Amino acid sequence: MNATLSRAVLNRLSFGPRPGDAEALQREGLARWLDRQLAPDDHQDEAAARALDACRLSIKYDGGQDWSAVDEERPLAALDQPVEALWPLADGKRSLPGPERQFPRQQTVAATLVRAVHSRWQLREVLADFWHNHFNVFAGEQSVAVALPSYDRDVIRRHALGNFREFLEAVATSTAMLVYLNNRSSRAGSANENYARELFELHSLGRDAYLNALYDKWRAVPGAAQGAPRGYIDQDVYEAARAFTGWTIEDGAGLGGGQRLPETGRFTFVEGWHDGYQKRVLAQEFDPFQAPMADGRRVLDLVADHPATALHLGRKLCVRLVADRPPDRLVAMAAAVWHDNRRKPDQIARVVRAIALSPDFAAPGSGKIKRPLELAASLLRAGGVGFTATSAMIRDLDASGQRLFGAPAPTGHPDQDEHWLGSSALRRRWDLVLALAENRWKTGALDLAGLFPEPVPAAAAVERWQQRLTGLDAEPATTRAILDGMGLKPDRPLAPGKDGDAPLKRIAAYVAMAPRFQTR
Amino acid sequence: MDGHALHLSRRRLLRGGLATGLAVGFGGGLCGVPGQPNVAWAAGDPVAGMRTGTLVVVFLRGGADTLSLMAPADDPDYRAARAPELRVQTDGEAAGLPLAQTLAAGIDFRLHPEAAPLAELYRDRSLAIVHAAGLTDGTRSHFVAQDLIERGVGDEAALTRTGAGWAARWLGDGAADGMAGDRMTLSAMAAGTGVPAALAGHGGTLAVGDLDRGLAPPGGKATAAVLDGLFRGDDGPYARAGRDALAGLAGIDARLPRGADGKIAPYAAEGGAAYETGEAARGLQTVARLVKMEIGLRLAWVDVGGWDTHENQPGRFANAVRGLSRALAAFHADTNRFHDRVTLVVLSEFGRRLRSNRSQGTDHGHGGAMLALGGRVAGGRMLGRWPGLASHQLDRGVDLAVTTDYRAVLAGLVGPAVFPGYAGPGLGLLTA
Repeated sequence: MNATLSRAVLNRLSFGPRPGDAEALQREGLARWLDRQLAPDDHQDEAAARALDACRLSIKYDGGQDWSAVDEERPLAALDQPVEALWPLADGKRSLPGPERQFPRQQTVAATLVRAVHSRWQLREVLADFWHNHFNVFAGEQSVAVALPSYDRDVIRRHALGNFREFLEAVATSTAMLVYLNNRSSRAGSANENYARELFELHSLGRDAYLNALYDKWRAVPGAAQGAPRGYIDQDVYEAARAFTGWTIEDGAGLGGGQRLPETGRFTFVEGWHDGYQKRVLAQEFDPFQAPMADGRRVLDLVADHPATALHLGRKLCVRLVADRPPDRLVAMAAAVWHDNRRKPDQIARVVRAIALSPDFAAPGSGKIKRPLELAASLLRAGGVGFTATSAMIRDLDASGQRLFGAPAPTGHPDQDEHWLGSSALRRRWDLVLALAENRWKTGALDLAGLFPEPVPAAAAVERWQQRLTGLDAEPATTRAILDGMGLKPDRPLAPGKDGDAPLKRIAAYVAMAPRFQTR
Repeated sequence: MDGHALHLSRRRLLRGGLATGLAVGFGGGLCGVPGQPNVAWAAGDPVAGMRTGTLVVVFLRGGADTLSLMAPADDPDYRAARAPELRVQTDGEAAGLPLAQTLAAGIDFRLHPEAAPLAELYRDRSLAIVHAAGLTDGTRSHFVAQDLIERGVGDEAALTRTGAGWAARWLGDGAADGMAGDRMTLSAMAAGTGVPAALAGHGGTLAVGDLDRGLAPPGGKATAAVLDGLFRGDDGPYARAGRDALAGLAGIDARLPRGADGKIAPYAAEGGAAYETGEAARGLQTVARLVKMEIGLRLAWVDVGGWDTHENQPGRFANAVRGLSRALAAFHADTNRFHDRVTLVVLSEFGRRLRSNRSQGTDHGHGGAMLALGGRVAGGRMLGRWPGLASHQLDRGVDLAVTTDYRAVLAGLVGPAVFPGYAGPGLGLLTA
């Protein structure tokens, strides 16, 4: 395996190389590395388990009428809890301090950061991030924030490498999505179209398959006469919205006659809210009065099977794992693997594998700008930091433009370079690497003593940090820029300890600001 | 969103493709020279576009329910289609604020009760309302609709032919941006972290959040010096963007007034303006500060989210309207010395369904409305043509029809040349 491929694998299929990762990958070979990464075993992830156990987040608020002041550190206890255990935190009728209501989201963010740095199953972490954006929910909404631990655990992580049709149903019945895209309140008579529209446009077929000019002329959609319409129209959205009426959660809503739903936050189907009459979705007739949930499930079958979904998801995976504009033949290959394996339990893993093993995977010019999460995790991994997530870090990361589980629009965070290159976003990312290198948020210190057992001249320190962080030979221009900018003489000796620490940390941060580290 | 799908490197697009793109657009039979009004425009609008000054665009992301903002409150079709809490009332405690208008005689148009600051701006003729405006394309997708509007085109077929955004076409390549001695030129800014697709193709747009703590790079002068060295001679996208950012951020930072202690002085708004928190207020305050620096700002873009009200609309919409109205009023008061030079336009990707759903909300619709605010706006009027809300008058039988192409409003501000292939009539939005 050449160095370009090895670097591409570790930067795109993992959150960056730790010391020794490149050599281990060389020894193992990409195919075997993929075999292991695509069949992760949670019982064999001790480093991540230990780091999650050890992680503490601070929570602090003043006393109020119904509560006393709190200023303490807490473990990530919400991660294992079912939605009904956390649901009372979202109850607007209860008087609760705001930080308690948001704490499940904080814990999910912390766990995401810890796993990105420490998990052995890096590829699953990369894909969990991908799917969280694909099936985005906005945890600024309280009822979504408390549902986030179960969404992350039982929906996103469980299905990240699995079968897309099963994944879709897990999402469609998840508390987080039912709240976020409002299907929980959709009723027969005037259905709420929010979820149904984004199911077609974002989750499955994609906007390229939206043939809105044909609005109500379903027979005119190419392929419709053969029962295989090339795309969808607004009528499909309206009809699908009817199919999902009654898919809701136990949120205490009134059922009529003095009856109410329980208040657990769990999924339920309310027959009385379902629009049972006949429907037509993607040129398929639905007979009236089907079994409970059968209409919605059939919509999920249709969109999961659709060739446009294979193309949309194939392309999107290539954009995440390869380049902003992946070669057409790579996208076509990924779509074909997706479609051919749509009944397989490991459909998604097979597509990822095919993309990674393609000759286009590491083609020249396919690099992208790291998103803030990738940037932070890759620096922490390469820098040998015994990282733990802290509330202070989460607060600042939230302001970096990649607020995890906090993108308001259902598209999630953008995946194109252009978005991350605005001046404000750049300034934030420079601050992110500087703060991590200097341990401003008490997330863990760089391994200075390990890297610099002896005092070294400043020029050699810059070179060593470049080799360590990028895995490549030092660039003289980078060395010069950093020494000149810092006003350091090349032969000035630096060593960990009192006065060597500050410049050595700074050098690490500046190497991480250089173009080679900022791109993948 | 695929709003950033066309992300040809900004500079490259400018140098290579943009001029060609314009030439092709105008090869389609439209007479006219970029930047010059054509005949129809000269007749309709004496001033075809702002030759100087700043255009502020406030984009309401999510599809604002303009039928709840500027409502035909006593229209029987309106009343029949919506639950009472989802429409503006003509009487009672929460009655809407009447608008004097000639758009539709006999209809009692009212502003949402939380829009009192807008009612005042309308009364003093600073604010004009264009109702039933929007895309003629029938898309009900947020992301397609936003893309169409930001690229300044009329239909999806035109998207593939149009790389740059309309604001970028108006501004040109930004080649004059940057420092010339002590003199700084910044022609475009976006409030927030990202640059909208409307500015894709314009090099050097500065994306800035609030200015309260300055814009110097973290880590002091050494960081600026190191970054400057790291980016030198590198033509990759990150290094190019980094160079632009360093120059722009430093230029603005140097112009922020400082106290005796060297710290950025708290911003003193003028005209009794009080900015509150929230996206609109924060963004518009930053715009006002940049306008006052007199650095040649031509276009400022402020995104405001929170308008996609499929559920629980009454409370959410009231909050959104309150935040927007107060922010617009604060901005207008704060920039009173610049009223002849600053024009603001408010738009959204579409309006919402006339008929409410059973979640106390409204789904994606079609026709919306646009607002124009400023000293040069011929305000106190509702413009356009009111199509009516009876079933046969609705778009596809369900949504407010579009009788004014959104480009008619924008072309009245930046000139029709920015919208290749569009040749609709002017609206007379600005005073001569």
